[in-house]
Amino acid sequence: MFGLVDAVSFYARAEKVFDPSIRHKPVVVLTNNDGCICAVCPIARQLGVPKFVPYFKVKSFLAKHDVVVRSSNYELYADLSERMMNVIARYSDNHYVYSIDESFLHFKNFSCVDNWHEYGHVIRKAVWRETRLPVGVGFGPTLTLAKAANHASKKLSGFDGVAVIDDKVSRKEILSRMSLTDVWGIGNKLGKRLSILGLKNGWDLANQSPKAMRAQFGVVVERTVNELNGMPCLDWDEIGQDKQEIFSTRSFGQRVTDGHALKAALASHASIVATKVRRQGSLVKRLVVFASSSPHDDSYYKKSVIYEFPTATDNTLKLVGAISYVFDSIYSQGISFYRCGVGGVELESSQYQQQDMFTLSVNNPPLMKCYDQINHRYGRGTVEVAVAEKNEKWSMRRNFLSPRSTSNWSEIPKIIC
Amino acid sequence: MKVIPVYIEAGISGFESPAAEYRELNLSLEELLLQHPNATFFGLANGRSMEGRGIFNGDVLVVDRVEHISNGSVIVANFNGCFVCKIIDTDNALLLSASDEHKAIKITESDDFQIEGVVNVSFRLHKKLPVLLSCLG
Repeated sequence: MFGLVDAVSFYARAEKVFDPSIRHKPVVVLTNNDGCICAVCPIARQLGVPKFVPYFKVKSFLAKHDVVVRSSNYELYADLSERMMNVIARYSDNHYVYSIDESFLHFKNFSCVDNWHEYGHVIRKAVWRETRLPVGVGFGPTLTLAKAANHASKKLSGFDGVAVIDDKVSRKEILSRMSLTDVWGIGNKLGKRLSILGLKNGWDLANQSPKAMRAQFGVVVERTVNELNGMPCLDWDEIGQDKQEIFSTRSFGQRVTDGHALKAALASHASIVATKVRRQGSLVKRLVVFASSSPHDDSYYKKSVIYEFPTATDNTLKLVGAISYVFDSIYSQGISFYRCGVGGVELESSQYQQQDMFTLSVNNPPLMKCYDQINHRYGRGTVEVAVAEKNEKWSMRRNFLSPRSTSNWSEIPKIIC
Repeated sequence: MKVIPVYIEAGISGFESPAAEYRELNLSLEELLLQHPNATFFGLANGRSMEGRGIFNGDVLVVDRVEHISNGSVIVANFNGCFVCKIIDTDNALLLSASDEHKAIKITESDDFQIEGVVNVSFRLHKKLPVLLSCLG
């Protein structure tokens, strides 16, 4: 049996843990730089506050309805996430943290559970008791069905925070009430293509021939169909697969017009990408570098350039160096830049790199190892490529930040005696 | 995880410390004071109503969400949108103070009330620390 436990609107609920004054109020959380709404608590959702819209567009609506607005308090979320995962881990013999608020469980030798529904509630209660975070729990014979049950536990009427798929009746009941794109692995594009075939919901998809699906949509959809029918296809290790693309992007706290400042920001992103790439043991073959003004400006400016390395690399100096090659075709005078970023898009495994006998290796593992160790030990940015100098203008804007109640002594909650 | 560092010895090393084999992990305040670290948070006491139980203005409260609550426990609760530290009278639904100057508070249906955790440990800093003073504001 597999399980998926995840927190209900995690960021927004995390804000309520140490601030009792907003527990019954609508709360929204903004993304980096207070740009967009990224989390909406259930009370705010009922008011009709949409997700993923720019904050400035709904500012007056939020003010009118007395909605509490918060910047992303990553220090707090990271701590609460860790606490939540610690509790969940106690309830199974295999545990995989899938994201900041989601965790897969795999019950391999668990004969002691005979009522999964009750067991789900035991987990929910424990997490609530220790962290004050509400979670949804789904169980199923495959990862995809556990994910579907989790969806049902939170979103479908008639469920109380726990849902179990353990026979055909429960499988049909849940899948037929899920839209195609609610199924794990079915994105918007794929969902549209499937609906052209006349499929309406998850149950329709489960009833397709896996072979036909493979012929038309590839192996991923074939696996999804099999998983929806209770045949495990996804390996435990596969869900934690290496990322195929690694990006670092950010909007500026204040607009940037100066070429040097933009270059420094891009260099810093390239450096972050390099560090992330090394962490998963990959090499970058192609680097995307882009910068833009705001899409809400009168005239929108966006430039994106791809740089291809002769041989794939994870060397910070090479990735940062690539910025210099492409910078002139990105920067333009008079543009007030709002956002920029760098992404490694064609990643190769450093383990299986094809060596070219005529070119010297561009990688420098000893230097990079030293670089990573220093930054790991003394904090990111302790050693940095000179061009990537920090600039206050593009550090994160967080105007509505709540206290870091669990990580900073000067911000612990006040308790009235 | 905490570990005992054992240094590699390289040949010329003088005399080995006679205490080397008796080394243990150093004392940890957390280990002593936190029963359920994962479910514990800290708060700063603000006010004088709990002095009879040894909790003074500016003390640090260690709040344990897992610890069992019984009649007479010192608890931290959300009371109408504020964290308060009081003694819970579970029989009569009262929040009691440990001071003659503060009356008992009756918890009614219309109040927003949830117990956050139990205070089994609180500590006082006899020399004020600037980091903690700033949150009393």
